[in-house]
Amino acid sequence: MGEDPAASESDASHEVAGRRGRAGLVGALLLLALAATARADALDEVRARGTLRYGSDMEGGAPYAFPDPDSPRSVAGFEVDIMDRLARALGEGVRAEFSQGPWDRLLGVLDSGRVDVVVNGYEWTPERAEDYLATRPYYIYQLQLMGPKGTPAGSWDDLGRPKPDGSPWTVAVLTASAADDFAHDSDAGAVRVVRFDGATDAMLAVQNGQCDFTLQDGPAAAHYAGAFPGLRAVGPPVSRGYYVIYARRSDHALRDALDAAIGRLAASGELRRILEKHGVWNDLQAGLATDFQGPIEVPTTRRAARGWGLVPHYGDRLRAAALVTLGLSFGSMPLAMAIGLMVAIGRMYGPAPLRLALAAYVELIRGTPLMLQLYVLFFVLKLDPWVAGIAGLAINYSAYEAEIYRAGLQAVPRGQMEAALALGMSRGQALRRVVVPQAARIVIPPVSNDFIALFKDTSVCSVITLVELTKEYSILANGTRAVVEFATATAAIYLAMSLPLSWFARWAERRLGAEGTKGGLA
Amino acid sequence: MIEARGVVKRFGTVEILRGIDLSVSRGEVACLIGPSGGGKSTFLRCLNGLERFQEGRVTIGPDVLDARQSPREHAKAARRACLRTGMVFQSFNLFAHRTVLENVIEAPVHVLGMKRDEAVERARGLLDRVGMLHRLDARPRELSGGQQQRVAIARALAMGPEVMLFDEPTSALDPKTTAEVLAVMADLARDGQTMLVVTHAMGFARKAATMIHVFGDGLVVESGPPDQIFGAPAHDATRSLLAESRVA
Repeated sequence: MGEDPAASESDASHEVAGRRGRAGLVGALLLLALAATARADALDEVRARGTLRYGSDMEGGAPYAFPDPDSPRSVAGFEVDIMDRLARALGEGVRAEFSQGPWDRLLGVLDSGRVDVVVNGYEWTPERAEDYLATRPYYIYQLQLMGPKGTPAGSWDDLGRPKPDGSPWTVAVLTASAADDFAHDSDAGAVRVVRFDGATDAMLAVQNGQCDFTLQDGPAAAHYAGAFPGLRAVGPPVSRGYYVIYARRSDHALRDALDAAIGRLAASGELRRILEKHGVWNDLQAGLATDFQGPIEVPTTRRAARGWGLVPHYGDRLRAAALVTLGLSFGSMPLAMAIGLMVAIGRMYGPAPLRLALAAYVELIRGTPLMLQLYVLFFVLKLDPWVAGIAGLAINYSAYEAEIYRAGLQAVPRGQMEAALALGMSRGQALRRVVVPQAARIVIPPVSNDFIALFKDTSVCSVITLVELTKEYSILANGTRAVVEFATATAAIYLAMSLPLSWFARWAERRLGAEGTKGGLA
Repeated sequence: MIEARGVVKRFGTVEILRGIDLSVSRGEVACLIGPSGGGKSTFLRCLNGLERFQEGRVTIGPDVLDARQSPREHAKAARRACLRTGMVFQSFNLFAHRTVLENVIEAPVHVLGMKRDEAVERARGLLDRVGMLHRLDARPRELSGGQQQRVAIARALAMGPEVMLFDEPTSALDPKTTAEVLAVMADLARDGQTMLVVTHAMGFARKAATMIHVFGDGLVVESGPPDQIFGAPAHDATRSLLAESRVA
């Protein structure tokens, strides 16, 4: 999607007319804005404030923007250097100010007004260019395929044929990145795309042998090659796209000022010096100074696919993602309940060493984040994503269930256990036949509460490449910019899945409840 | 049938039982009376292993509970003791999630391995005997205390115990329902059921007991047939106890 070779060549001829038209529009809008709300273009605010706030994500962000190894409290990277120069170009004493945000939600941060622009390897796409104002590129990227040493494939094109055993190649990508789009759209039937939340996670998965290849933006591939000695570049780079700076639609003056500043930076050779300093310069970048006289033109034909119509259009993908959510929930919750019950019984009736060990288990599992537990299962133990996801959720929730059951077991009067023992039952029989069934009724509300929470916690499994509902929402909303539409649809699907659960829980409570009923409870 | 020798029970540093010697023969109806906190209930719970004790030993038929047993040995011995005894609790302790019939057949089916039909047949007979046949499908919380206690007696009897242990079976009941339960117990006593009853119901003790043991301060202070205990109490504790019950 980020690739549009025709655009740069046609830019020059259309640019003049395009900019003049926009300038007129800007003037009209500006007058309107001044008359109505007196809201100034962000450029004026930036100058008045003396800072240009840009949204970026330093997590796994080298060499774009990352914690400075020499001074960990500050941020370094070629984008940081570029933004420093651009900010200075906006006016006397204007400084650039880094603002941390999650990579795939940076445009939302831009919408909220907390930053003036977004710049973080955000490639130009027609969809984004419709909703935001883009500058000319400050970098021309290509995608680099990386594989383990000794991989049989020699280039991206070799992935067109399936593996010797007939199965597809797995290609790890950063979710919603240009590589994601490229791998997804390229007509390679023998490729299965596996999505990660971080570029380095994708590389780790290949080094671990969990995926066959990873497709990375060139700068990231070059920078992290040293950190992943098990990987090597496979074949020449593929695809091509442009990193641009995005501003809000209302901020034409800011965008135009930044755009012009990039042009001057490129023409003066300073941009080249910055890129060379960070080791990301290559021959392709020569085009930055020569191929662009302004922002990339927005094709008008794109306007069709928008709005609520997108939701049914992507219905299959949402349905598939909802099934993943259901599979994870119904796969893990029964396990969590079974493990939790055993832990609770062990803690209440087991010998002292076991009680101690189980208490430690509960505290360890409750006290560490689910995401970290999934990481260990997936990247360290190298389990299959589904196995890791179900096991991780089951283990995590078992600790919470154990405490609920312990409370439930304690709520059953002591006399019930004593009566069972006095009748000659063993402790196990007494628990199974007398105490646990009564505790079950007590714990239905909190357990069903947890089940609904788990439904939504399955979204954490996106870190181990499972594309469940929240992840699919993120992908679709990011790709189409139909945020409100997909957010509404996703929320509706979650609700549709959790409501029957609530009803079932209430029904079970009534059925098991001994509140004056005479049901045939076996 | 039951023989306790030198049973000592402590909760922390508090000595609840200070060396109890007591025996119950087959067919005997023994009543344990005494002031509250005298250790009667605790002693009863030591007999079937619900409580452990620190010194002494208890024999029930051929089975032995000994203070020196390991927890595992004690648990095994306690289970055998429970199979020989039936226990009726002050607070009934019917299984709250089961019906009346289910309460009674639970242990015969799942502990003795009795066929369900046979267990139901026996349960009906026992429930008829305690006057609860008409409430087979009721849940415990739908019954009055007296009704619950009568079902609890049937539940204990269903296991065919050699000895029935009653732990203040009427203390939680009002006078009318107390009378119902005591009538059932008197009926059992007439049938020759060996019984050990912890009670404050002096009228019942006087009428139904063959032997009375008076507890005071963790010891058996006086034992004897009802006529002797009620007619010519030898111990001060017994006299004050009888005086109190007459006033009440």
